Amino acid sequence: MPSPSSIEDREAHWVEWATGCVSALLVLSMIGFIFFEAVTDGHKPPDLGIVITSRNPVAGGYRVTFDIANRSTATAAGVVVRGEILNGGNPLETTDVTFDYVPAESKSTGVILFSQDPGDRGIRIRATAYTDP
Amino acid sequence: MESRIGREAPEGSRKFLVGIGRGAAGALLFGLPMLMTMELWQLGFYMERSRLLLLVLVNIPLLIALAHRVGFEKTYTLAQACRDAAIAYGLGIVMSALILVLLGDIKTSMPMSEIIGKISIQAVAASIGALLGRSQLADHTGSGGDQDDDGGKGEDAVRDRMSGNYGHELFLMAVGALFLNLNIAPTEEIILISYKMTAWHALFAIVASIAIMHAFVYAVAFKGTHQMSAAAPRWHVLVRFTLPGYVVAMAVSFFVLWLFGRLDGKAVSQMVMSSIVLSFPGAIGAAAARLIL
Repeated sequence: MPSPSSIEDREAHWVEWATGCVSALLVLSMIGFIFFEAVTDGHKPPDLGIVITSRNPVAGGYRVTFDIANRSTATAAGVVVRGEILNGGNPLETTDVTFDYVPAESKSTGVILFSQDPGDRGIRIRATAYTDP
Repeated sequence: MESRIGREAPEGSRKFLVGIGRGAAGALLFGLPMLMTMELWQLGFYMERSRLLLLVLVNIPLLIALAHRVGFEKTYTLAQACRDAAIAYGLGIVMSALILVLLGDIKTSMPMSEIIGKISIQAVAASIGALLGRSQLADHTGSGGDQDDDGGKGEDAVRDRMSGNYGHELFLMAVGALFLNLNIAPTEEIILISYKMTAWHALFAIVASIAIMHAFVYAVAFKGTHQMSAAAPRWHVLVRFTLPGYVVAMAVSFFVLWLFGRLDGKAVSQMVMSSIVLSFPGAIGAAAARLIL
């Protein structure tokens, strides 16, 4: 059923052209950005780095907060992070936490809860495993 | 219900009750997919409250504008549109609450914050559904038709509302995109898909979204199909309507993903990727809204 005067038939208002041009520019620049990413993507595996941001005793244990950053352009899934209290190089207590995803070039935050205060013993937190999404 | 749909003398209160019934049916029809999604229940308690507040507030002007367009009754004044929007929002809240209780997702032992959170998220989509239900389930054979402003018969009224109509088209596209996005954005699949896709996939997804959007409105002859002018080249319509529509769908996708905390801590490239994934259904929703509403 062609309607006698659809909105497309009318003389275009200049606002319509302005909106259209800005939109075209936005879409094209987005395509350009992604195209650049596609071309420069080196297919590097996920590169995970962990930084402890805070550690403090809590009721019934000890809390260590950390950031896990992925510097690569590939996302890691099911990332297992293991926290250990070290006693002269040997783990005294071990706790695991799993991140569903650590997205490419992004950062996630996690917490490990130990049952004891490590005191002046060392703490080691490292990623032990991940899968491809 | 069938007997009520038939043409009848407009007796005020009965007609209004039928409208309420259709609204409730619309809230159910459009709200159930969300009401039965686990991620949305969880969002009810962990979603950041400032963002939830924003969502709940943004819904108000949106409903009023939409009510002005489709209406519980045929609305022409702002006051009537506000009344209809309020009824739709109210229906959305009541229906969401009832269904969540029915599904055992709301229990009296839960904290108030969780109960209200769960209902308020669901009420947004359900209230849009209530308005659409009133419009789409209604009988269009009655006099006056369905306020289709394309049928303005070339009188000067059309000319006066020219730029208003254009804004209207963009608004409808935003509503269509928002509606589909609200259903899909909370699921984990959106981010999972964006992680699985490479940049090349994303490029094709953009082109496909725009192509489908354009084809949906201009090639496939659904009800209310927009006609391309014979005089102007085809790319005119692409630039004036489809591309702005895609940008609107993209913006709505970005907004909804941000609302649900799906963009937190992510790099710009990952934000763009997730938005492109969500814009795919969003663009189809936007195109559909132009045709249906």
